[in-house]
Amino acid sequence: MKAKHSTSRRRWLKRTGALALSAPYIITARSQETLIVNTQGGEYQELVERVVIRPFEKKFGVKVIHDPTGTASQDYAKIRAARGAPGFDVAGLLTPPEVILGVKEGLLEKLTEREVPNLRHLWDKTWQVIPAGSGAPHTLQYAALVYHKEKLERPRSWADYWEPQKKYGEKVKGHLINYNPANLLSVYALIHAAQLGKGGVDNMEPAWQRLKAQKPYVGVVVTGSAEAVPHFENGQVWISPYWSARSGYYIDRGLPFEMVIPDEGVIGLFDVACIPVGSKNKKLAYEFLNWRLDPAVQREWALAYFSSPTRPGVELPAKFAANQIVSKEQIAKTQFPDSDVIGARRKDWTLKWQEIMG
Amino acid sequence: MARDHGLAPVPWLLVAAPMAVLLLFFALPNALLLSASFLKSEAQQLTNELTLENYSFLFTRPLYIRAFIRTFIVGISVGLIDVALGYPLAYFLVRTKSRWKGLLIALSLAPLLASVVVRTYGWYIILNRFGVANDLLLSLGFIDDRIAFMPSTGAIIVGLAHALLPYTVLTIMGSLQGINPNLELAAMSLGASRTRTFFSVVLPLSLPGIAGGFILAFSIAISAYATPAILGGPATQVMATAIYGFMTQLLDWSIGAALAVVLVFCAVLLTYAAARMGARQAAL
Repeated sequence: MKAKHSTSRRRWLKRTGALALSAPYIITARSQETLIVNTQGGEYQELVERVVIRPFEKKFGVKVIHDPTGTASQDYAKIRAARGAPGFDVAGLLTPPEVILGVKEGLLEKLTEREVPNLRHLWDKTWQVIPAGSGAPHTLQYAALVYHKEKLERPRSWADYWEPQKKYGEKVKGHLINYNPANLLSVYALIHAAQLGKGGVDNMEPAWQRLKAQKPYVGVVVTGSAEAVPHFENGQVWISPYWSARSGYYIDRGLPFEMVIPDEGVIGLFDVACIPVGSKNKKLAYEFLNWRLDPAVQREWALAYFSSPTRPGVELPAKFAANQIVSKEQIAKTQFPDSDVIGARRKDWTLKWQEIMG
Repeated sequence: MARDHGLAPVPWLLVAAPMAVLLLFFALPNALLLSASFLKSEAQQLTNELTLENYSFLFTRPLYIRAFIRTFIVGISVGLIDVALGYPLAYFLVRTKSRWKGLLIALSLAPLLASVVVRTYGWYIILNRFGVANDLLLSLGFIDDRIAFMPSTGAIIVGLAHALLPYTVLTIMGSLQGINPNLELAAMSLGASRTRTFFSVVLPLSLPGIAGGFILAFSIAISAYATPAILGGPATQVMATAIYGFMTQLLDWSIGAALAVVLVFCAVLLTYAAARMGARQAAL
C-alpha cells in the first residue's frame, strides 16, 4: 500500500511539474487566440460588438477583448506614451490626423495587401487621405448639419448655422452649439465657415469672423460629439454640425431632428483601424482588419451605424443610400481637406477658438 | 556606539522602499516632464532641439495667463470656502456628546463614497440652464429668463468646494482632537468668556489643522481635472484641463509638459509658503 501511495504521489508530482513547466506555453498559445481591440464606448460599443466583434469571434474561433475607452486622439496618445505597445492589438477608431502622425512617428504597422487582402478594394481616394498601407479605413461619414424640426425651418447652407440670425432671427439665441477644435467636427465646421468667406485651411480668418459673430447665439459649448446628445434631447440645441452616422443613429431612435447636406457640400471622414507596432498578436489583428473590410461586414456595419462603406459595390437599400457616399461621383464631390495641414495647424486654431469663445 | 553616530542601517532600510517608490514614480516622471518641456515640438512631434519657446508661448498668450490665474483663484477660493464651512462642522463633530456622534461623522464624510464625477454631475443637473436651480428661481418668480450658471469659474468653485469639504473636515478634526479640553476650562476659570476662549485658545491651537485643511483643498483643487472639465467646459480652462488638451487632444507634449511644470512648481511653492505660515502661527 505504501509503495503504491508513493508511486501515485510521484506520478502526481511528475504530472504537476510537467504542467507547471508547460504553463507558459499553454498561456502563450491561449493568448495568441485573444485579440484586444480598442474602439469607443456609448452606442458605438454595443454596435461594434454585435455587428463586428462577435461574428469575428464566431468565424475565427477566437476571443476578442473589447476596450471601449478613449477618443481617437486619446488612443493615439496612449500608443505614443507606450511607444507603440499600448496594450491593445488594434486601434480600431483613429482618424486621419492621428494616422498620419502615427506613420511619421513610426508607431503604426505598415500594411500590405498580402496581410490585408481587402485593402485592394477600397476607394482610390482613400490613399489620398491617409498614407498608403497605414491602416484599414472601415467607416466613411461626413460632417452634416442637423436641426430640430419642430423649432426651426430646414437650413440649406452652412451660413444658416454660422449666421443663424439672418435666417432665424433672435429666437435661435442660446440654441446653438459649438465644439472645441479638439474634435474634428469643429475643425470641419470651421473650414466650412472659412469657405463661406472665400477662405479655407490656408486662410481661416473668415471662420474667426463668423465665430465671433455667432458667439452671442451659442448656448452650449462641448468637446466630444457624444456630449452634445443630451442637449439635443432636452431641446436646448436646435441646430448643430454633426457626424452623419451618429445623426442617422439618433434620428432613427426618435430624436426630433433632421439631417441636411448643405448646398456647399460636406467634408468626409474616414474612421481607420490600425495596428500599433507593439501589437502582440499581429496575425489575428490583420485578420480583424480584413474582416472589417469584408463586403458583408461593411454592409451590416453601414446599416447599423448609418455610415457609408469604404469600398464601392456594397449594395444598400436605395432610401438608406440617399444620405450616404456610395458612388464615384459622390466621393469625388466630398471634400477631404489635407489632414497633415490640419494636424500641423490645429494647435493655433484651437488657441484662436479658445480666445474667442473663452 | 553605532546608534550614537546615527548610522544604524534599520531606519535607512525602512525608508529605502518608500523612497525608491517615490523616486521611481514621482521624481523620475517629473524629471522626464521637465526635460520634455525644454524640447522643441514641430507639427506635434518632439524634436531633440532645446528651446525656451514652450514657456514663452505660455507666458505671452493671455488665454493661458487667464487659465493660470483662474486655477489659483479656484484653488484659493475652494480652500477658503472649505475651511470656513469645514471648521464649524469639525468643531461640532469633535465636541458633541451626542450618542449619534459616530453616525454624524460618517454622514459628514459620506460624500467620499461617491465618485467625484458622480458628485460633479449632480451639480451639472442643478446648475445647467435647464436645471433645478433655474426651474426653482423661475417658479418663485425671482428671474424672468434662464441664467447660465455654467460653464463658469463659479460653478467650478462650487463643485470642487463640495467635493473637497470632507478632506478639510477630517484634517481640522484631527487638529481639534489634539487640543486638551482642560486648556479651555482653565481659560474660562480665569474669567474668559466662551467667545474669547475660542478665539484666544482653541483657534490659535487649531491653526495647523486649518493650514493643513486649506493646503489639502487648495492643492487638490488646482490639479483637479474632472470637475473643471464638466462644470467649466472647454471654454473655461484651468491649467489641468489645458494640460490634458495639449497632451491628449492636440498631441503637443512639449507645451503640455511646460504647463505641467509651471503648475507643479507654483503648487509646491504656494503649499510650502502656506505650510510655513501655518507652522509659524502654531508656534506663536
